[in-house]
Amino acid sequence: MNYLATHPAEVLSLALAHLELVAIALAIAFAVALPLGIVAAGASRFSPWLIGALAALYTIPSLALLAVLVRWLGLGATPVVVALILYAQFMLVQGVVTGIRGVDPAQIDAARGLGFSERQLMVRVALPQATPVILGGVRIATVATISIATLAGYVGARSLGTLIFNGLTLHQNQMLVAGSVATALLAICADAGLRALTRLSEARLR
Amino acid sequence: MRSGIHLLTRGRAIALVASTIALARCSSNANAIRVGSKNFTESLVIAEIYAQALEAAGMTVERLFNLGSTQIVMAALQRGDVDLYPEYTGTALVDVLHEAPLRDPAQTYRVVGEAYKQRYDLVWLQPSPMNDSQALATTAALAANYAMHDLSAVARLAPQLRLATIPEFTSRPDGLPGLQKFYGGFKFADVRTYDIALKYDALLSGKADVATAFTTDGALASPRLVVLADDRHFWPPYHVAPVVRAGALAKNAGIAKTLDAVSPHITTEAAQRMNAAVEGGQSPADAASAFLKAARA
Amino acid sequence: MSGATIGFDDVGVRYADADGDALRGVSFDVASGEVVAIVGPSGCGKTTLLRTVNRLVEPTSGAVLIDGVDVRTMDAVALRRRVGYAIQAVGLFAHMTVAENVGIVPSLLGWPRDRIDRRVDDLLERVHLDPKRFRDRRPRKLSGGEAQRVGVARALGGEPGVLLMDEPFGAVDAIVRAALQDEVTRVVRDLGTTTLFVTHDVHEALRIADRICVMNGGRVEQLDAPAAILANPATDFVRRLFEGARA
Repeated sequence: MNYLATHPAEVLSLALAHLELVAIALAIAFAVALPLGIVAAGASRFSPWLIGALAALYTIPSLALLAVLVRWLGLGATPVVVALILYAQFMLVQGVVTGIRGVDPAQIDAARGLGFSERQLMVRVALPQATPVILGGVRIATVATISIATLAGYVGARSLGTLIFNGLTLHQNQMLVAGSVATALLAICADAGLRALTRLSEARLR
Repeated sequence: MRSGIHLLTRGRAIALVASTIALARCSSNANAIRVGSKNFTESLVIAEIYAQALEAAGMTVERLFNLGSTQIVMAALQRGDVDLYPEYTGTALVDVLHEAPLRDPAQTYRVVGEAYKQRYDLVWLQPSPMNDSQALATTAALAANYAMHDLSAVARLAPQLRLATIPEFTSRPDGLPGLQKFYGGFKFADVRTYDIALKYDALLSGKADVATAFTTDGALASPRLVVLADDRHFWPPYHVAPVVRAGALAKNAGIAKTLDAVSPHITTEAAQRMNAAVEGGQSPADAASAFLKAARA
Repeated sequence: MSGATIGFDDVGVRYADADGDALRGVSFDVASGEVVAIVGPSGCGKTTLLRTVNRLVEPTSGAVLIDGVDVRTMDAVALRRRVGYAIQAVGLFAHMTVAENVGIVPSLLGWPRDRIDRRVDDLLERVHLDPKRFRDRRPRKLSGGEAQRVGVARALGGEPGVLLMDEPFGAVDAIVRAALQDEVTRVVRDLGTTTLFVTHDVHEALRIADRICVMNGGRVEQLDAPAAILANPATDFVRRLFEGARA
């Protein structure tokens, strides 16, 4: 912990870089996962394939995936952001599919019978009802993304992983601990924030 | 079910992608020589030596250190994000080229040099005498007592000796079983496995007579410990050399000249001292600059 | 607004995944403002027949006409906004208030805010729910009977010429049920809305309907006024179905 006390500016700047990676990756990942999940929720033949493929993607070891991405995108933040987007898909799409499939079928039937277009049905009924479950997926993906974003340290981009991997390489335990603790704090805060948001969205359904 | 929700976020997503790419690109200096390293002490220190030597010769250097794996450094090198980094001949042969290990250092260097040039358009500059190979170590006192200076002697004397090692050494073909087959003998009186950090303590506290080691381990810089020579070359050589993009060499002839002048000074003993210094808290940059100062003197 | 007429012209439905026909040769007309009950045992095709009117089910043969126009020529979404729809499970939108639920079709139709508000209050009063108390409630806070009333009010939101109800009073106890039947019948008669409703309860049909359509095995067994069905059941099936209801 001493390292945190002696280098607060550096830790803060790395934490901000870390958050920037996570925020950019999650924003893009969600923009991809939402339409993908909506399509998959409505297509029962296609969805097991998609979820299976995303699960397989999730199991690719990060160093191997990063090596491929570096070959294609070079060193720096870009391969990390792409890796984070790919890893997050499994959790996000799963959340969207589960959320939409879990919507009360009577409400879907009523909405269709009352003259909602399929798009209105999705935007005005299914997604609002699925929001707590989708947010649950976002929460899990966010915590995972915060932890995986440490990998930036492996490809020459800045994140709290820089402290962790420098600490490991240089046998500087305080640096390593500072990086790990800061990462854990970010994850805990994000988890608590998203839990609160999920509860809020559930309250709207009660 | 169809939806057009993604339309709402598409514009924003494009902006974010663009900003990400900008973020990744902003630090690059077109004329700098980009020196990479892998994520362990020795790679970092040697990369720092290369970087400082190039800077001393008037070149601009960008450091891309601590990259996560050989695969990642190779990917960056092939793409041109890194111009050079220190690599070991044995690692290149086995882990990158997926060939069987060779025992002869010169042959290993020649094979990887040719394959790298042909497959990747990468050039191996002159190798250093430093060899980061597996080894057995003992105390200076025991070495003198038994007149035990190489593995042939250990093979013979083993029934009187106790070995401190790490678990995988007792089972791997490049560990104890291989030694027994290759040298004959090597029937130790006792084999105990220790945590990797504790095996030298076992040696120094008299709980063991011989310990497995890597030749450039910082602990071996101590005058109380000696490395036993692999006199019949059982272990494949791991000599370090700069691996450089042919394009970077063509653009800047100073790279080869500068690094070829430094490499002969990087000996196993020098590497041991620098590893020990960094493990003791010195920065890799300071360790490298002390080394270069001594090399110039 | 007065009710539309409904015409079934030799309507047949065969589901892709079933052996027999769900509906066979159904033909009858419903007059403007008439209340017709469709009764019969489970699987007799009564719900399928109801759902052909708003095109939730598409006939494989024959045609369904509203005010003489084949529903297949209309946009399904536009058609459904003109045809009220209430179901046993109610399906109130849990994330919306009672007022938002009742006002949903008018809002889909693009009515101005104040007209929607007036319509919502009017309908809530008609189904005996005080707008002041109920407007801003969430569906989870309603009793079974209150939810059913809101469901009917929602179905009538867009001033439909036709109201379709599928077991709309099925999920409530007998006392609430009787009250609901009376209220809803009064509302649709006041509004003049042509009403088709599905029930398995012959007492309910006898109590509410102008005419009863008795179905069995995808066909219409008899279609007549309650008294006529009781007096002259057309088949043994109809007689058995209404046995004990005479008293």
